[in-house]
Amino acid sequence: MTSDPNKPIVLLIDDSPDVHRLIRVRLRHEPIEVVSANGGAEGLATAKQIKPATILLDLDMPGMDGFEVLRALKRDPELANTPVIVLSGMSEADDKVTAFDLGAADYVTKSFEKPSDLAELRARLRASLRVERLLRLLAERAELDGLTGLGNRVQFNRRWSQEVAGNQRYGKALSLALFDIDHFKRINDTYGHPAGDAVLMEFAKQLFASCRQTDVACRLGGEEFALIMTETALEGAAQVADRVRQGLMATRWPRHPEHVVTVSAGVIGATTGANGATPELWFEAADKALYAAKHGGRNRVVTGAAENLAPAVKA
Amino acid sequence: MQPQTTGGQEVGTTARGSGGAVGGKVDKLRSEFAGDPDMAELVEAFVSEMPQRVEGLRRAWESQALDDLRRLAHQLKGASGGYGYPALGQAAAGVETTLNKMASGGQATMASLRQEFDALVSLCGRVAA
Repeated sequence: MTSDPNKPIVLLIDDSPDVHRLIRVRLRHEPIEVVSANGGAEGLATAKQIKPATILLDLDMPGMDGFEVLRALKRDPELANTPVIVLSGMSEADDKVTAFDLGAADYVTKSFEKPSDLAELRARLRASLRVERLLRLLAERAELDGLTGLGNRVQFNRRWSQEVAGNQRYGKALSLALFDIDHFKRINDTYGHPAGDAVLMEFAKQLFASCRQTDVACRLGGEEFALIMTETALEGAAQVADRVRQGLMATRWPRHPEHVVTVSAGVIGATTGANGATPELWFEAADKALYAAKHGGRNRVVTGAAENLAPAVKA
Repeated sequence: MQPQTTGGQEVGTTARGSGGAVGGKVDKLRSEFAGDPDMAELVEAFVSEMPQRVEGLRRAWESQALDDLRRLAHQLKGASGGYGYPALGQAAAGVETTLNKMASGGQATMASLRQEFDALVSLCGRVAA
Protein backbone atom coordinates (compact mmCIF):
# COMPACT_ATOMS: atom_id res chain seq x y z
CA MET A 1 0.00 0.00 0.00
CA THR A 2 1.44 3.39 -0.89
CA SER A 3 -0.11 6.80 -0.80
CA ASP A 4 -2.72 7.48 -3.46
CA PRO A 5 -1.69 10.94 -4.65
CA ASN A 6 -5.25 12.18 -4.32
CA LYS A 7 -5.74 10.87 -0.83
CA PRO A 8 -2.32 10.76 0.80
CA ILE A 9 -1.82 8.67 3.90
CA VAL A 10 -0.99 10.41 7.15
CA LEU A 11 0.38 8.10 9.82
CA LEU A 12 -0.41 9.11 13.40
CA ILE A 13 1.88 7.60 16.01
CA ASP A 14 0.61 8.15 19.56
CA ASP A 15 0.00 6.02 22.63
CA SER A 16 -3.21 7.77 23.65
CA PRO A 17 -6.52 6.55 22.22
CA ASP A 18 -7.93 9.99 22.99
CA VAL A 19 -5.41 11.73 20.77
CA HIS A 20 -6.16 9.32 17.94
CA ARG A 21 -9.87 9.97 18.25
CA LEU A 22 -9.49 13.71 18.53
CA ILE A 23 -7.11 14.12 15.64
CA ARG A 24 -9.13 11.87 13.36
CA VAL A 25 -12.26 13.89 14.00
CA ARG A 26 -10.46 17.19 13.58
CA LEU A 27 -8.92 16.10 10.29
CA ARG A 28 -11.96 14.37 8.92
CA HIS A 29 -12.65 17.05 6.35
CA GLU A 30 -9.13 16.98 4.96
CA PRO A 31 -8.51 14.99 1.74
CA ILE A 32 -6.33 12.48 3.54
CA GLU A 33 -6.49 9.03 5.04
CA VAL A 34 -5.37 8.80 8.66
CA VAL A 35 -3.74 5.56 9.78
CA SER A 36 -3.30 5.07 13.51
CA ALA A 37 -0.39 3.35 15.21
CA ASN A 38 -0.32 2.79 18.94
CA GLY A 39 3.13 3.62 20.23
CA GLY A 40 6.62 3.81 18.76
CA ALA A 41 7.36 0.23 17.81
CA GLU A 42 4.06 -0.23 16.04
CA GLY A 43 4.55 3.16 14.42
CA LEU A 44 7.87 2.20 12.87
CA ALA A 45 6.57 -1.11 11.60
CA THR A 46 3.49 0.52 10.10
CA ALA A 47 5.55 3.29 8.48
CA LYS A 48 7.75 0.76 6.73
CA GLN A 49 4.73 -1.05 5.47
CA ILE A 50 2.56 1.79 4.19
CA LYS A 51 5.12 4.50 3.29
CA PRO A 52 2.97 7.45 4.39
CA ALA A 53 3.15 10.91 2.86
CA THR A 54 3.60 12.48 6.30
CA ILE A 55 4.02 11.21 9.85
CA LEU A 56 2.48 12.83 12.94
CA LEU A 57 4.61 11.71 15.84
CA ASP A 58 3.91 12.08 19.54
CA LEU A 59 7.02 12.82 21.57
CA ASP A 60 5.67 11.85 24.93
CA MET A 61 5.25 8.06 24.78
CA PRO A 62 6.22 5.33 27.24
CA GLY A 63 8.58 2.61 26.04
CA MET A 64 10.02 3.88 22.79
CA ASP A 65 9.67 7.65 23.06
CA GLY A 66 9.22 10.05 20.19
CA PHE A 67 12.89 10.98 19.90
CA GLU A 68 13.88 7.35 19.55
CA VAL A 69 11.28 6.84 16.86
CA LEU A 70 12.49 9.94 15.05
CA ARG A 71 16.06 8.70 15.11
CA ALA A 72 15.01 5.32 13.80
CA LEU A 73 12.99 6.91 11.01
CA LYS A 74 15.92 9.05 9.88
CA ARG A 75 18.28 6.07 9.90
CA ASP A 76 16.04 4.11 7.55
CA PRO A 77 16.80 5.12 3.95
CA GLU A 78 13.26 4.30 2.84
CA LEU A 79 11.70 6.55 5.46
CA ALA A 80 14.35 9.20 6.05
CA ASN A 81 12.75 11.67 3.67
CA THR A 82 9.19 11.28 4.91
CA PRO A 83 8.30 14.56 6.62
CA VAL A 84 7.67 14.18 10.35
CA ILE A 85 5.52 16.63 12.29
CA VAL A 86 6.17 16.23 15.97
CA LEU A 87 3.28 16.52 18.43
CA SER A 88 3.91 17.51 21.99
CA GLY A 89 1.73 18.02 25.03
CA MET A 90 4.31 20.33 26.50
CA SER A 91 5.93 23.06 24.49
CA GLU A 92 9.40 22.92 25.98
CA ALA A 93 11.95 24.84 23.99
CA ASP A 94 14.58 22.13 24.55
CA ASP A 95 12.30 19.50 23.09
CA LYS A 96 11.74 21.64 20.02
CA VAL A 97 15.45 22.10 19.45
CA THR A 98 16.11 18.39 19.84
CA ALA A 99 13.29 17.46 17.53
CA PHE A 100 14.47 19.85 14.82
CA ASP A 101 18.09 18.76 15.21
CA LEU A 102 17.00 15.19 14.70
CA GLY A 103 15.29 16.19 11.48
CA ALA A 104 11.66 16.83 12.33
CA ALA A 105 9.99 19.02 9.74
CA ASP A 106 7.63 20.75 12.11
CA TYR A 107 6.36 20.93 15.69
CA VAL A 108 2.79 21.30 16.94
CA THR A 109 1.34 21.27 20.45
CA LYS A 110 -1.44 18.77 20.79
CA SER A 111 -3.45 20.19 23.64
CA PHE A 112 -5.91 21.55 21.10
CA GLU A 113 -7.42 23.85 23.63
CA LYS A 114 -7.46 26.87 21.41
CA PRO A 115 -9.03 26.92 17.93
CA SER A 116 -5.68 28.20 16.71
CA ASP A 117 -3.99 24.95 17.80
CA LEU A 118 -6.15 23.01 15.41
CA ALA A 119 -5.89 25.54 12.64
CA GLU A 120 -2.14 25.33 13.05
CA LEU A 121 -2.09 21.54 12.85
CA ARG A 122 -4.17 21.60 9.69
CA ALA A 123 -2.08 24.31 8.06
CA ARG A 124 1.20 22.63 8.85
CA LEU A 125 -0.11 19.28 7.70
CA ARG A 126 -1.26 20.77 4.41
CA ALA A 127 2.10 22.40 3.89
CA SER A 128 3.89 19.15 4.53
CA LEU A 129 1.69 17.22 2.14
CA ARG A 130 2.13 19.86 -0.52
CA VAL A 131 5.90 19.61 -0.29
CA GLU A 132 5.75 15.85 -0.49
CA ARG A 133 3.54 15.99 -3.56
CA LEU A 134 5.78 18.48 -5.32
CA LEU A 135 8.88 16.43 -4.63
CA ARG A 136 7.19 13.41 -6.11
CA LEU A 137 6.24 15.36 -9.22
CA LEU A 138 9.77 16.64 -9.57
CA ALA A 139 11.12 13.14 -9.38
CA GLU A 140 8.65 11.70 -11.84
CA ARG A 141 7.99 14.45 -14.36
CA ALA A 142 11.08 16.60 -14.21
CA GLU A 143 13.51 13.80 -13.42
CA LEU A 144 14.99 15.93 -10.69
CA ASP A 145 16.27 15.09 -7.26
CA GLY A 146 14.25 17.17 -4.80
CA LEU A 147 17.02 17.74 -2.30
CA THR A 148 19.88 18.78 -4.56
CA GLY A 149 18.21 19.92 -7.78
CA LEU A 150 20.48 17.63 -9.82
CA GLY A 151 19.09 15.09 -12.22
CA ASN A 152 17.87 11.89 -10.61
CA ARG A 153 18.52 8.28 -11.55
CA VAL A 154 15.79 8.31 -14.17
CA GLN A 155 17.45 11.20 -15.92
CA PHE A 156 20.85 9.57 -15.59
CA ASN A 157 19.71 6.33 -17.19
CA ARG A 158 18.14 8.12 -20.10
CA ARG A 159 21.05 10.46 -20.77
CA TRP A 160 23.72 7.83 -20.24
CA SER A 161 22.16 5.55 -22.85
CA GLN A 162 22.04 8.46 -25.28
CA GLU A 163 25.67 9.39 -24.74
CA VAL A 164 26.98 5.85 -25.01
CA ALA A 165 25.02 5.45 -28.25
CA GLY A 166 26.66 8.64 -29.48
CA ASN A 167 30.06 7.36 -28.54
CA GLN A 168 29.43 4.06 -30.33
CA ARG A 169 28.02 5.58 -33.48
CA TYR A 170 30.18 8.66 -33.93
CA GLY A 171 33.26 7.80 -31.91
CA LYS A 172 32.83 10.88 -29.70
CA ALA A 173 34.97 10.97 -26.58
CA LEU A 174 32.99 10.20 -23.42
CA SER A 175 33.71 9.72 -19.73
CA LEU A 176 31.70 8.66 -16.71
CA ALA A 177 32.62 9.52 -13.13
CA LEU A 178 30.86 7.95 -10.15
CA PHE A 179 31.22 9.66 -6.77
CA ASP A 180 30.35 8.32 -3.34
CA ILE A 181 30.73 10.45 -0.23
CA ASP A 182 32.98 8.74 2.31
CA HIS A 183 31.55 7.59 5.66
CA PHE A 184 28.28 9.36 4.95
CA LYS A 185 26.32 7.23 7.37
CA ARG A 186 28.67 8.33 10.10
CA ILE A 187 27.89 11.99 9.41
CA ASN A 188 24.16 11.35 9.71
CA ASP A 189 24.56 9.31 12.87
CA THR A 190 26.94 11.73 14.55
CA TYR A 191 25.59 15.11 13.50
CA GLY A 192 22.01 14.33 12.55
CA HIS A 193 20.03 14.06 9.39
CA PRO A 194 19.96 17.82 8.63
CA ALA A 195 23.77 17.85 8.69
CA GLY A 196 23.82 14.97 6.22
CA ASP A 197 21.45 16.84 3.94
CA ALA A 198 23.67 19.90 4.11
CA VAL A 199 26.65 17.85 2.97
CA LEU A 200 24.69 16.40 0.05
CA MET A 201 23.46 19.81 -1.05
CA GLU A 202 26.90 21.38 -0.86
CA PHE A 203 28.54 18.53 -2.75
CA ALA A 204 25.89 18.75 -5.44
CA LYS A 205 26.56 22.46 -5.78
CA GLN A 206 30.27 21.87 -6.13
CA LEU A 207 29.76 19.05 -8.60
CA PHE A 208 27.45 21.16 -10.71
CA ALA A 209 29.88 24.08 -10.65
CA SER A 210 32.68 21.87 -11.87
CA CYS A 211 30.94 20.63 -14.98
CA ARG A 212 30.17 22.17 -18.33
CA GLN A 213 26.86 22.89 -20.01
CA THR A 214 26.95 19.68 -21.98
CA ASP A 215 27.76 17.51 -18.98
CA VAL A 216 25.10 15.79 -16.87
CA ALA A 217 25.38 15.80 -13.08
CA CYS A 218 23.03 13.45 -11.23
CA ARG A 219 22.33 12.19 -7.78
CA LEU A 220 21.79 8.46 -8.15
CA GLY A 221 20.52 8.00 -4.62
CA GLY A 222 21.70 8.27 -1.04
CA GLU A 223 25.24 9.58 -1.17
CA GLU A 224 26.01 8.43 -4.71
CA PHE A 225 26.46 10.83 -7.61
CA ALA A 226 27.31 10.54 -11.29
CA LEU A 227 28.89 12.94 -13.77
CA ILE A 228 28.60 12.27 -17.49
CA MET A 229 31.30 14.23 -19.27
CA THR A 230 30.56 14.47 -22.98
CA GLU A 231 33.32 14.92 -25.48
CA THR A 232 35.83 14.43 -22.72
CA ALA A 233 38.50 11.76 -22.73
CA LEU A 234 39.73 9.94 -19.65
CA GLU A 235 42.61 12.27 -18.81
CA GLY A 236 40.47 15.39 -18.75
CA ALA A 237 37.73 13.60 -16.87
CA ALA A 238 40.14 12.36 -14.23
CA GLN A 239 41.31 15.94 -13.68
CA VAL A 240 37.75 17.16 -13.22
CA ALA A 241 37.01 14.37 -10.77
CA ASP A 242 40.12 15.11 -8.77
CA ARG A 243 39.31 18.82 -8.61
CA VAL A 244 35.90 17.91 -7.21
CA ARG A 245 37.55 15.62 -4.69
CA GLN A 246 39.95 18.34 -3.57
CA GLY A 247 37.19 20.91 -3.36
CA LEU A 248 35.12 18.81 -1.03
CA MET A 249 38.07 18.00 1.19
CA ALA A 250 38.83 21.69 1.53
CA THR A 251 35.27 22.56 2.51
CA ARG A 252 34.71 23.77 6.04
CA TRP A 253 31.36 22.79 7.53
CA PRO A 254 29.63 25.21 9.98
CA ARG A 255 27.87 22.39 11.80
CA HIS A 256 30.99 20.33 12.29
CA PRO A 257 34.06 22.44 11.54
CA GLU A 258 36.42 19.83 12.96
CA HIS A 259 35.08 17.08 10.70
CA VAL A 260 36.35 16.96 7.12
CA VAL A 261 34.20 15.28 4.49
CA THR A 262 35.81 13.44 1.60
CA VAL A 263 34.61 11.64 -1.51
CA SER A 264 35.82 8.66 -3.50
CA ALA A 265 35.45 8.42 -7.28
CA GLY A 266 35.78 5.99 -10.15
CA VAL A 267 36.24 7.31 -13.68
CA ILE A 268 36.03 5.36 -16.92
CA GLY A 269 36.60 7.24 -20.14
CA ALA A 270 37.13 6.70 -23.86
CA THR A 271 38.88 8.87 -26.40
CA THR A 272 36.97 7.42 -29.32
CA GLY A 273 34.31 4.75 -29.70
CA ALA A 274 34.71 2.28 -26.84
CA ASN A 275 34.96 -1.20 -28.22
CA GLY A 276 31.47 -2.73 -28.13
CA ALA A 277 30.67 -1.18 -24.79
CA THR A 278 27.11 -0.96 -23.50
CA PRO A 279 25.84 1.60 -20.99
CA GLU A 280 25.68 -1.18 -18.41
CA LEU A 281 29.19 -2.51 -18.96
CA TRP A 282 30.59 1.01 -18.85
CA PHE A 283 28.68 1.83 -15.66
CA GLU A 284 29.81 -1.41 -14.09
CA ALA A 285 33.42 -0.57 -14.88
CA ALA A 286 33.05 2.85 -13.28
CA ASP A 287 31.45 1.21 -10.27
CA LYS A 288 34.37 -1.20 -9.98
CA ALA A 289 36.78 1.72 -10.13
CA LEU A 290 34.79 3.45 -7.38
CA TYR A 291 34.96 0.30 -5.30
CA ALA A 292 38.71 0.21 -5.78
CA ALA A 293 38.91 3.83 -4.61
CA LYS A 294 36.96 2.99 -1.45
CA HIS A 295 39.00 -0.02 -0.64
CA GLY A 296 42.24 1.66 -1.54
CA GLY A 297 41.81 4.13 1.29
CA ARG A 298 39.04 6.50 0.18
CA ASN A 299 39.40 10.19 -0.72
CA ARG A 300 40.86 9.28 -4.10
CA VAL A 301 40.05 8.85 -7.77
CA VAL A 302 40.61 5.56 -9.57
CA THR A 303 40.52 5.60 -13.36
CA GLY A 304 40.24 3.11 -16.20
CA ALA A 305 39.99 3.15 -19.95
CA ALA A 306 36.72 2.24 -21.63
CA GLU A 307 38.68 0.69 -24.46
CA ASN A 308 39.35 -2.22 -22.14
CA LEU A 309 35.74 -2.88 -21.38
CA ALA A 310 33.99 -5.28 -23.66
CA PRO A 311 35.05 -8.88 -24.08
CA ALA A 312 36.74 -9.43 -27.45
CA VAL A 313 34.22 -9.69 -30.24
CA LYS A 314 34.94 -11.89 -33.17
CA ALA A 315 35.42 -9.80 -36.27
CA MET B 1 -17.73 32.05 35.85
CA GLN B 2 -19.18 33.19 32.58
CA PRO B 3 -22.84 34.09 32.50
CA GLN B 4 -25.12 31.92 30.39
CA THR B 5 -26.70 33.61 27.44
CA THR B 6 -30.44 33.79 27.23
CA GLY B 7 -32.48 33.03 24.16
CA GLY B 8 -32.67 29.26 23.95
CA GLN B 9 -29.06 28.21 23.34
CA GLU B 10 -27.18 27.28 26.49
CA VAL B 11 -23.53 28.17 26.02
CA GLY B 12 -21.00 26.03 27.80
CA THR B 13 -19.82 27.45 31.08
CA THR B 14 -16.37 26.58 32.23
CA ALA B 15 -15.33 26.66 35.84
CA ARG B 16 -11.77 27.90 35.91
CA GLY B 17 -9.80 27.69 39.12
CA SER B 18 -11.84 26.00 41.84
CA GLY B 19 -15.29 26.59 40.45
CA GLY B 20 -17.96 24.75 42.37
CA ALA B 21 -21.28 25.18 44.03
CA VAL B 22 -23.53 28.09 43.20
CA GLY B 23 -26.37 28.63 45.64
CA GLY B 24 -25.95 25.09 47.01
CA LYS B 25 -26.45 23.33 43.67
CA VAL B 26 -23.43 21.81 41.82
CA ASP B 27 -23.03 23.12 38.26
CA LYS B 28 -22.34 20.83 35.37
CA LEU B 29 -18.98 21.23 33.66
CA ARG B 30 -19.72 21.53 29.99
CA SER B 31 -17.48 21.17 27.00
CA GLU B 32 -16.26 24.28 25.26
CA PHE B 33 -17.15 22.50 22.05
CA ALA B 34 -20.76 22.03 23.10
CA GLY B 35 -22.07 23.74 19.98
CA ASP B 36 -19.68 22.04 17.56
CA PRO B 37 -21.40 19.35 15.47
CA ASP B 38 -18.08 17.75 14.51
CA MET B 39 -17.26 17.16 18.15
CA ALA B 40 -20.68 16.08 19.49
CA GLU B 41 -20.04 12.36 19.14
CA LEU B 42 -16.59 12.60 20.68
CA VAL B 43 -17.67 14.70 23.63
CA GLU B 44 -20.50 12.28 24.34
CA ALA B 45 -18.06 9.38 24.23
CA PHE B 46 -15.74 11.18 26.66
CA VAL B 47 -18.58 11.90 29.06
CA SER B 48 -19.92 8.36 28.96
CA GLU B 49 -16.43 6.94 29.56
CA MET B 50 -15.84 9.22 32.52
CA PRO B 51 -17.16 6.78 35.16
CA GLN B 52 -14.57 4.23 33.99
CA ARG B 53 -11.79 6.80 34.25
CA VAL B 54 -12.89 7.74 37.75
CA GLU B 55 -13.03 4.07 38.67
CA GLY B 56 -9.48 3.68 37.46
CA LEU B 57 -8.34 6.72 39.43
CA ARG B 58 -10.02 5.48 42.62
CA ARG B 59 -8.58 2.00 42.26
CA ALA B 60 -5.07 3.39 41.83
CA TRP B 61 -5.55 5.65 44.84
CA GLU B 62 -6.94 2.93 47.10
CA SER B 63 -4.17 0.50 46.32
CA GLN B 64 -1.62 3.32 46.54
CA ALA B 65 -0.40 2.51 43.02
CA LEU B 66 1.08 5.96 42.55
CA ASP B 67 2.75 5.19 39.23
CA ASP B 68 -0.60 4.09 37.81
CA LEU B 69 -2.21 7.19 39.26
CA ARG B 70 0.39 9.41 37.60
CA ARG B 71 -0.10 7.73 34.25
CA LEU B 72 -3.88 8.10 34.46
CA ALA B 73 -3.62 11.73 35.51
CA HIS B 74 -1.18 12.36 32.68
CA GLN B 75 -3.50 10.83 30.11
CA LEU B 76 -6.46 12.76 31.43
CA LYS B 77 -4.45 15.97 31.40
CA GLY B 78 -3.58 15.41 27.75
CA ALA B 79 -7.07 14.47 26.66
CA SER B 80 -9.20 16.99 28.54
CA GLY B 81 -8.19 20.04 26.53
CA GLY B 82 -9.01 18.33 23.27
CA TYR B 83 -12.52 17.50 24.41
CA GLY B 84 -13.09 21.03 25.65
CA TYR B 85 -12.55 20.72 29.40
CA PRO B 86 -9.48 22.82 30.18
CA ALA B 87 -10.39 23.04 33.90
CA LEU B 88 -10.31 19.26 34.08
CA GLY B 89 -6.94 19.25 32.39
CA GLN B 90 -5.60 21.66 34.95
CA ALA B 91 -6.90 19.54 37.84
CA ALA B 92 -5.28 16.46 36.34
CA ALA B 93 -2.06 18.41 35.85
CA GLY B 94 -2.19 19.30 39.54
CA VAL B 95 -2.27 15.66 40.54
CA GLU B 96 0.52 14.76 38.12
CA THR B 97 2.75 17.62 39.25
CA THR B 98 2.28 16.74 42.93
CA LEU B 99 3.12 13.11 42.23
CA ASN B 100 6.22 14.17 40.30
CA LYS B 101 7.33 16.33 43.21
CA MET B 102 6.88 13.45 45.62
CA ALA B 103 8.81 11.11 43.36
CA SER B 104 11.74 13.50 43.03
CA GLY B 105 11.88 14.24 46.73
CA GLY B 106 10.45 17.71 46.42
CA GLN B 107 8.06 19.60 48.62
CA ALA B 108 4.82 17.67 48.56
CA THR B 109 2.79 15.79 51.15
CA MET B 110 0.20 13.07 50.96
CA ALA B 111 -2.25 15.58 52.33
CA SER B 112 -1.73 17.94 49.41
CA LEU B 113 -1.96 15.01 47.00
CA ARG B 114 -5.23 13.99 48.61
CA GLN B 115 -6.57 17.48 48.07
CA GLU B 116 -5.62 17.53 44.41
CA PHE B 117 -7.02 14.05 43.95
CA ASP B 118 -10.35 14.91 45.56
CA ALA B 119 -10.62 18.08 43.47
CA LEU B 120 -9.98 16.10 40.31
CA VAL B 121 -12.52 13.40 41.10
CA SER B 122 -15.08 16.01 42.03
CA LEU B 123 -14.58 17.81 38.74
CA CYS B 124 -14.85 14.54 36.86
CA GLY B 125 -18.22 13.99 38.44
CA ARG B 126 -19.48 17.29 37.07
CA VAL B 127 -18.47 16.62 33.49
CA ALA B 128 -21.35 16.77 31.04
CA ALA B 129 -21.72 17.22 27.31
